Amino acid sequence: MTTSDQNETETGQTLPDLDTSPIGLLEKVRTEGRVWEDLCEQYGVDNPLPPWKVNMDGTCDMLAAEDCALPLLERRWEEDELSDELYADIPFPERQLLALAHSMIKRGIMDEDELASTMKKVGQRLNSC
Amino acid sequence: MAKKDGDHRHEPAPMVDEVSEFEILEVAVRELAIEKGLFSAEDHRRWTEYVHTLGPLPAARLVAKAWLDPEFKKLAVEDGVKASLEVGVDWVKDMPTQFGTPSDYCNLRVLEDTPTLKHVVVCTLCSCYPRPILGQSPEWYRTPNYRRRLVRYPRQVLTEFGLILPSDVEVRVEDSNQKSRFIVLPVRPEGTEGWSEDQLTEIVTRDCLIGVAMPTPGVTANVKLPVHPAVNPVPHH
Repeated sequence: MTTSDQNETETGQTLPDLDTSPIGLLEKVRTEGRVWEDLCEQYGVDNPLPPWKVNMDGTCDMLAAEDCALPLLERRWEEDELSDELYADIPFPERQLLALAHSMIKRGIMDEDELASTMKKVGQRLNSC
Repeated sequence: MAKKDGDHRHEPAPMVDEVSEFEILEVAVRELAIEKGLFSAEDHRRWTEYVHTLGPLPAARLVAKAWLDPEFKKLAVEDGVKASLEVGVDWVKDMPTQFGTPSDYCNLRVLEDTPTLKHVVVCTLCSCYPRPILGQSPEWYRTPNYRRRLVRYPRQVLTEFGLILPSDVEVRVEDSNQKSRFIVLPVRPEGTEGWSEDQLTEIVTRDCLIGVAMPTPGVTANVKLPVHPAVNPVPHH
């Protein structure tokens, strides 16, 4: 579903339509990635949230600031939509991260290939020792 | 590595010894955004360090102070931003001022409960939350399920948190918005006579400050609420 139609919300605000079609790279993360609650169980850790969450929150805040590449309200609405439709089987905060990446790709802020390439480099770096 | 200290053995805290695809995704999204010039690494670091320091303690202390000092309670209800200064939160100057979500630093209103009036806070639109004084919002606060049902069925939702209110208590749901954030000033519970500010602060949990729980002597933890999707979700379009 890809349209450029505008939607009026219950509160009268206008939001762009969201393309909720799956993204291959994110589907791979969704199906193969290990969520924090599983890792906690395996390693006996009781921290309820993964350490990367605060960085993700910072990224969301930064994207909503200044030039406003991804406005807060639109990101949250899209997250709700994607959490209902595409990432319902993934726990929080992993599904928030998937929704964030999804919104950024569908809006053209970054493309799937460059994100895949960056993930590959980051993965090699983080697993290098 | 475990080491011996006399007869006492120090075991390292368990840690996750594996990098997940989600962790890699988070780092990649952030680094790509920085690479594209959407924000700087320095701004991100400053903001994240600031957010990392936030939690519900200042709001809990504000309530405890208000319970102990009628003049402070008056100030808190009349000017939440000014009262926040007394608990170390400056809504204007604390934030890294060059960036950030502007709606975070504008207005705090303290909603005073009475024996016949119970306030509860929601953000029906997204998940606005008084972060400078209450920290990050819990997962359930962000869910459409809580946001949509609280305004329609407040008593039912409060019951799910274990808060059953008598029928003569009015429930008032306050909807956060772009310019205003709210915390609840609950009624001081019986059994806390003679308590110090520190003792009172301990029982003012995050849930009490949102309004889904009442402070209770001996209770210092939040409710663990399972998160369910909305049964009849309202479509956005």
